[in-house]
Amino acid sequence: MKLGICALAIALFSACDSHEDDCHECHIAYMATDGTEIEVEITNSEGGEDFCGSELEEAEGPDFTYTLDEDVIIGTDTIPAGVYSDIHCEEHAH
Amino acid sequence: MKKSIFLSFIMMITFSLNAQIRGVVIDKDSIPIADVEILIADYDIQFFTNYLGEFSIEIGIINGSNLYLYKNGYESKISQYKDDTELVIILDDLHVDIDEISVIASYNILGNSKVTNIQNISIKDVFLNSNSMLESVTELSGVDIISSGSGIQKVVVRGLSGMRVVTYLNGMQINNQQWANDHGIGFTDLGLDKVELIKGSSALRYGSESIGGLLYFKDHPFIKLEEAKGFIASKFNSNSYLSSNQFGLKWNRNNLFFNVHGEYSISSDYRLPNNQYLFNSRFKQNAIKFSIAHKKNNLQNIFRYQLHNESPGIPGHVHGDPSTVELTQLLSSDIDFNTDFKITRPNQFVTNQLFIYESNYFTDNSKISLYVGHFRNNLQEYEKWTQPAFNLTLSNTLINPNIKYSYNNSTIELGSQFSILNNVNNINQRLVPDASSINIGPYAIFNYEKDNLGVNLGIRYDYKKLKSKDNTVNNNKIFDIDYSKSFSNPSFSSGVYYKFKDHITRISYSGAYRSPHFSELFSNGVHHGTNRYEIGDEDLLIENANQIDLKYQWSNEHLGFVINPFIQHITKFISINPTDSFSGVYRIYNYIQYELVEIKGVEMNIHYHPHLLHNLHIEQSYSFLNTKNKDDSYGLALTPANSIKTKILLDLNEYDKLSKYKINNLSVYHVHKFQQNSFAQYEEFTDSYDVINLQLGGKLNSKLEYNFLIHNLFNEEYTPHISRLRGVAGGVPNPGRSISINLKYDF
Repeated sequence: MKLGICALAIALFSACDSHEDDCHECHIAYMATDGTEIEVEITNSEGGEDFCGSELEEAEGPDFTYTLDEDVIIGTDTIPAGVYSDIHCEEHAH
Repeated sequence: MKKSIFLSFIMMITFSLNAQIRGVVIDKDSIPIADVEILIADYDIQFFTNYLGEFSIEIGIINGSNLYLYKNGYESKISQYKDDTELVIILDDLHVDIDEISVIASYNILGNSKVTNIQNISIKDVFLNSNSMLESVTELSGVDIISSGSGIQKVVVRGLSGMRVVTYLNGMQINNQQWANDHGIGFTDLGLDKVELIKGSSALRYGSESIGGLLYFKDHPFIKLEEAKGFIASKFNSNSYLSSNQFGLKWNRNNLFFNVHGEYSISSDYRLPNNQYLFNSRFKQNAIKFSIAHKKNNLQNIFRYQLHNESPGIPGHVHGDPSTVELTQLLSSDIDFNTDFKITRPNQFVTNQLFIYESNYFTDNSKISLYVGHFRNNLQEYEKWTQPAFNLTLSNTLINPNIKYSYNNSTIELGSQFSILNNVNNINQRLVPDASSINIGPYAIFNYEKDNLGVNLGIRYDYKKLKSKDNTVNNNKIFDIDYSKSFSNPSFSSGVYYKFKDHITRISYSGAYRSPHFSELFSNGVHHGTNRYEIGDEDLLIENANQIDLKYQWSNEHLGFVINPFIQHITKFISINPTDSFSGVYRIYNYIQYELVEIKGVEMNIHYHPHLLHNLHIEQSYSFLNTKNKDDSYGLALTPANSIKTKILLDLNEYDKLSKYKINNLSVYHVHKFQQNSFAQYEEFTDSYDVINLQLGGKLNSKLEYNFLIHNLFNEEYTPHISRLRGVAGGVPNPGRSISINLKYDF
C-alpha cells in the first residue's frame, strides 16, 4: 500500500509537461514620446499572425527588420511608415 | 592473559557500541509523555517515546552523546546518554515560548544559542501551515522578504540581503546567482525540518561573508522506525490557482536510514486587490531529494542528493523606464486557464543540483567530520523565445574538515573550509563574465559554559583568489577582462551570556568581511530581470563589518519579554545606483562603494499566556531599523519599514464540545508596517499598511490533517518598500485576499 502510494506519487511528478508552444505573434515595439511602448502587429512571410520555428528565430534575431509600407494609426498614436528593427515576440498582459 | 584482556576489551567496546538506549520521559507529576521527539543530535537520528513514555532502541552511540528532547507544550531538554543506563527524564510544562524554543536547552547546528544570538523555527509543517516557507520565516523579528509573488522570494535580515545573507542547506552554501533580486532562494521547503538564523556577522564556522546574517536550513533527521512511514500532501491557493503536491517516505533497517521526498507545484498569475492579475507572475517547479545514512561502530556516513527545477516568470518587465509605465499595462483583466499557466517570456529556467557526502567519526569527547558538498546552478534567463539573454552555470565545491572536542565545560572546534567556485557562460551573450575563485578559511571556535555563565570566542582567516579572463565579443560589445586579485582578512566573534534567576543577558561583538562579487566587479549588460543596464567596477574593495548585539530576556509562567538592540558599521559598502544615462531603453546602473554605512535598531518580543485561559497565546514582535549612508543624507536602498507583528493562537484541543467539528487550533496574524521615510536617493516614500491572516487547522482523523488559511483577509492593497516591483509603475501591489486549503495524509 505504502509503496503503491509512493509509486503513484513518483509517476505523477514525472508526468509533467514542459513543452513550450513553438509559434508566437510578433510586433514592432514602437516607443512613443512619453516612453510607453506601442505594439504594431506584424505578419509572417505568408501573411499570417504566427511566427514559428526558424521564422520565429529569424524575427527575434539582431538583423531582422520589418517594413511598414504606410502609416499605422493606433488610438491617438501614428506610427510612420518605415523600416523597423525593434521586433518583440513576447506576450503582454491581456 | 594478554589475549584475555584484549578479548575483554573488544567485548566491552562491542557491548558499549551496540548498547541499548532506553528510558522514560515523564512530566513533573510523573505522568508519562507520549510522542516525545528524541534526537541524537550529532548523529541526526530521531526516535519517539511510546504511549507509556518509554523509548528503547538498539543503536551504538558514544558515551556522553547529547539527546535532545522536544514536545510541543513542554520545555525542551538536553540529556546526556550514559552507558547502559536507563534514563528518566522529566519535562516541565512550557507556558511561554520565547525564541521559538526555550533558551534553557536547544540544539543548534550554528552553535551555542546561549552565547550566540541564534534563532530557530521549525518548518517541518510549513507546507501545511503556511503560504510559503520564506513567508513563514518572516514571522521572526528583523526578517523580511523581497518578492514578486510566490515565484521569486529572497530573505532580508536587518535590511541586508543578496550576497550579504548567506544561505546554507544541510551544510552546503547555496550559490545561485543570489546577487540579483530576481533570483530566488534555490530550493523549496521539501523535506526540511528547521531553519536557524544568525543575524549579523557571528556565523564564523560557515563563512565570513555573511555580514547580514546566515540562514541554515536543515532536512528532517533520519528516524528509527519499526516500519516505513510517509506522507502525501497537497495545497490549493485561490489567489493564483496554485496547486502544490509533496510526498515523503522514510525507511530504516538496523543502521541504514533512507529518506526520499518529491514535489511538484504550478501556479498562474497572482490576483491583486483590484481583481486584476499581475501578468507573468506565474511559476512552475519540481524537486526530488533523497538522503542515505549508515552507521557502523564509531563511523557514520551520509549521502544526500537534491534536484530542483523551477521556471518562474519575470513580472513587471518593461521596455523603457519602469517608473513611467502605467500599472494597467502589466495587468490582465482575467485568467485564461488555457494559457496563463504556460511559461511565457520573459522567464527563467533554473536547475539546481546538490550533492553532499559527510563522514563523522565519534569518540568519547570528540567528533571528527569530513564534509564534501557540490552545488551546481544553471540559470537561463529568456526575454526572447528562441535565444536566452544569458545562460550561466555556477558550480561550487566545498570541503570542510572539522574537529569538535569537549572537555569539562568547554568545547573547542577547529576546522577549515576549502571552496572552489566556477561561473561559466554557456553562450556568447552575457551579463557577467566567466570567473572562478578559490577560498580557504581556517577557523577556531571556543565555547565555555558553566552554571549561569557562558563565553564564546571565535576567529577565522580567509584567503580568496578571484580570477576572470573573458574577451568575448557579442553584439558589438567586447568583454575585455583579465583580472586576478587576492582578498584576505580575519573575522572574529565573541559573546558572553549570564543568567540570574529569570533574567538572561547576552552580548556579542563580531567582525567580518565580504570581498566583491564578480557581478559587482564585471557586470556589463542588460539585466532583463531588473529592467536595467548594469555596469560593474573592477576597483571595488573589501567590505568590513563590525556588529554589537545585546539581548536581554525575562520570562515567567505567563509572560515573556525579549529586547535586542544592535548596531553595525560597514565600511566600503557596495551598492548599485541609477545614473541619468540610458543604454537603448534601459537606464544604466553603476556599482559603487560607500565609505561608511550604519545599521542600527532594536527588536522586541512579548509572549503573553493568560493564567485563566491557558490555551490562548498572544505573541508580538517589534522591529525597528534605521540605516544611514554616511556619505550622504539618505538611508540605504531596500530598507524594510519598521513593523509590529502580532499572533493570537487559540488551542482548541481541550474543548471536547468542539472536537466533533475537528478543529484543533485557530490563529490570527496581524502585520503592521509603518511608513518608510528613510530611503536611498532614488527611492520613494512608502505608506503604512496592515495585513491580517487567519488560519484554522485540525485533524479529520488520526492520519489526515488540514489547514484552512485566509491571507490578506481584508484585501488590503499595499506595496512593501522592499518589493522587487516597488519602482515599477509607481509600485505593483502584493497579492490580494487568498484562500488556501492544505491537506496532509500520514501513513
